[in-house]
Amino acid sequence: MSGRVWWRLAWRNLGRNRKRTLITGAALAFGYLAAVVIVGVSDGIVAEMIDNGTSLLQGQVQVHAPGYLPERSLYATLGGDSGMALSPVLERLRELPGVTGAAPRVLGGGLVSAGSQTSGAVLMGEDPALEPRVSRLMAAIATGRAPEEGTRQVLIGSEMARKLGVGPGSEVVLVAPAADGSLGNDLFTVSGVYRTGVRELDAAYALLPIGTLQSLLALAPGRVHEIALGLSDPWTAAAVADSARAVLAAAGVPADVRSWPRFRPEIADYARLARASNWILIAIVFAMAVFGVANTMLMATFERRREFAVVRALGTTRSGVARTVVYEGLILGAFALVAGALLTAPILVWWHRSPPDMSFLYGGFTMAGALVRPVLRVQYSLEAPLLAAAALLVTAVLAAAYPAWRATRVPPADALSDR
Amino acid sequence: MTGARRRHPTPGRQRTSGPALARVRWALLPLVLGLAVPSASVPLRAQASGPGRLAARDVLIGTPAAQQAAETPREIIDHVDRLLRGASSRGAFRMEIRTAHWSRTLEGKVWSLGTKYSLIQLTAPQKEAGTATLRVGDEVWNYLPRVDRTIKIPPSMMMGSWMGSDFTNDDLVKESRLVEDYDVAIGYRGPRDGVEVWEFVLTPKPEAAVVWGKILERVRKTDLMPVWARYYDEDGGLVRTMTFSDYRTFSGRLVPATMTVVPTDKPENRTVVTYESLAFDVGLSPSFFSLRNLERGR
Repeated sequence: MSGRVWWRLAWRNLGRNRKRTLITGAALAFGYLAAVVIVGVSDGIVAEMIDNGTSLLQGQVQVHAPGYLPERSLYATLGGDSGMALSPVLERLRELPGVTGAAPRVLGGGLVSAGSQTSGAVLMGEDPALEPRVSRLMAAIATGRAPEEGTRQVLIGSEMARKLGVGPGSEVVLVAPAADGSLGNDLFTVSGVYRTGVRELDAAYALLPIGTLQSLLALAPGRVHEIALGLSDPWTAAAVADSARAVLAAAGVPADVRSWPRFRPEIADYARLARASNWILIAIVFAMAVFGVANTMLMATFERRREFAVVRALGTTRSGVARTVVYEGLILGAFALVAGALLTAPILVWWHRSPPDMSFLYGGFTMAGALVRPVLRVQYSLEAPLLAAAALLVTAVLAAAYPAWRATRVPPADALSDR
Repeated sequence: MTGARRRHPTPGRQRTSGPALARVRWALLPLVLGLAVPSASVPLRAQASGPGRLAARDVLIGTPAAQQAAETPREIIDHVDRLLRGASSRGAFRMEIRTAHWSRTLEGKVWSLGTKYSLIQLTAPQKEAGTATLRVGDEVWNYLPRVDRTIKIPPSMMMGSWMGSDFTNDDLVKESRLVEDYDVAIGYRGPRDGVEVWEFVLTPKPEAAVVWGKILERVRKTDLMPVWARYYDEDGGLVRTMTFSDYRTFSGRLVPATMTVVPTDKPENRTVVTYESLAFDVGLSPSFFSLRNLERGR
């Protein structure tokens, strides 16, 4: 007998009690929907954390002079005391695949003072044209605007502005120990105030045009402490870091290149944890489905005891009987999968495009030092739907396995004589 | 003035001060910068020798300094601690700072009154002349002539370097006496390099809020002049060494006019402070230590 017969039998058996088939299939389809959406939400939170944890300020890949970290010495600039030719290197870094931007930075510790109030600050010199492609600090300006190149303007965080009692247009004094041993100090105008929601950031960072900070710190142009890269996909960071290393080596600039899992290990740890829990979630959802489906299939096969007895009595092998039942499960699973996918796809797309604002439930919070906005965006990947699809089919087969085994154990004589 | 170590904290991490060196209070700085203590309060009691005390003959050698000295280890350390102080003082100093990256020499004037008030004003280099630091109690202000503004140093910056030297802002406000925070014992007595000395071991009192785990200080027996002081962290590691030299008489008082500080973790760094003049009991009043005088430049 050809195998097709078992498929046909399975198909017919499914049509026998359509209501039951429909309900069982719906259970599987909803299981699929639940698994994919839960994983999507979890991936969404992870993506939000990585994005905020790195894109807010640091970028996904950072380049420093060897030995700059962790002390962050003012003198440890890229290319040593003479600095480096920045533009060609930045150009080449920007051309790497997956890199959205490369921004040079100068960093120094200092004071920002207004009236009788003084606040310690991390002074960060940035290029107003390049920086927005790497970090979002500039996009987080609450009032005022970004400092303009060549001016003595400074952008400060909302916490620092509150502490100093200043706003756009206010005069502040910046003081910083310079590289020549003198005390760099000058009057600045607050060009704007940014607000990220990460308190430590809003209280600490003061952004200046890079050239202005270099002259305040008595650093020659071309001396920078950091080059930060922005990536379109944060998960490519390790590969991009390797390419960046090659670019800097070719330029003859000794460099320590790090990707975000290295300087934000807590976020990388959380991402790994979330990934592991995705598997567990999928397993739980389908484990529940297995029992539900197995239950109905067991009933269906029990109803057909006499049939199985007849076909067995007519010479059908046990494996033939088992195959009809397993095929039944597989066909059910395949239909449930199609239905589930059709149901899930629009929901995912809608949820991704217009994430519901959950601020009525919770405000923005920080987790592992990264801001999580009060929106519940789902992130879709190919991995989760494929994984869930495989899980669904395995579930259908597993759920059919026991009923199939039972079906093969029907003793024909007993079943036919109603014993 | 500001952080000796510049940090670029990741969000969620506190901005921290630098390694042990920057965190520590340097108890002897008031001495260096002439923060005055009323000399009348120096205890000069003559007591019988007993456990932990020095025999009177160890001290009373006959030099003027020794004659007014005390005889217990505690009293000797207290005497040395306040060598450079009068009820008020006025002086001129030169501070040479050397680091791996730059060297510079600052010159300035210093006024002080009691333990509470001091004013330091730079006169050189030209670029920074007029830069001044005023301390009243535990508050410190800096005047910046370039921008004609006075800024108040926030508490979080007290561990930052003062003018790029191996001093911290906090060193300026240290006003308690060594003997209030430390128990003093004799670690060695006898000849060293042909000179009779004591080596004292200062260990923090259990309740004292200090950063040093231990201070060793060598003092010459003949004139009670300090030779060096070594500052250790809580793990017993040497953090910095201060060497005294150039003993000179100012206003009839013998003092070490030069003090050299070398931080252990940066052996290429050193800060050398030399007094060019120093006058004691010059009759200053608290009103002298005003923001107006800070900005006007005395």
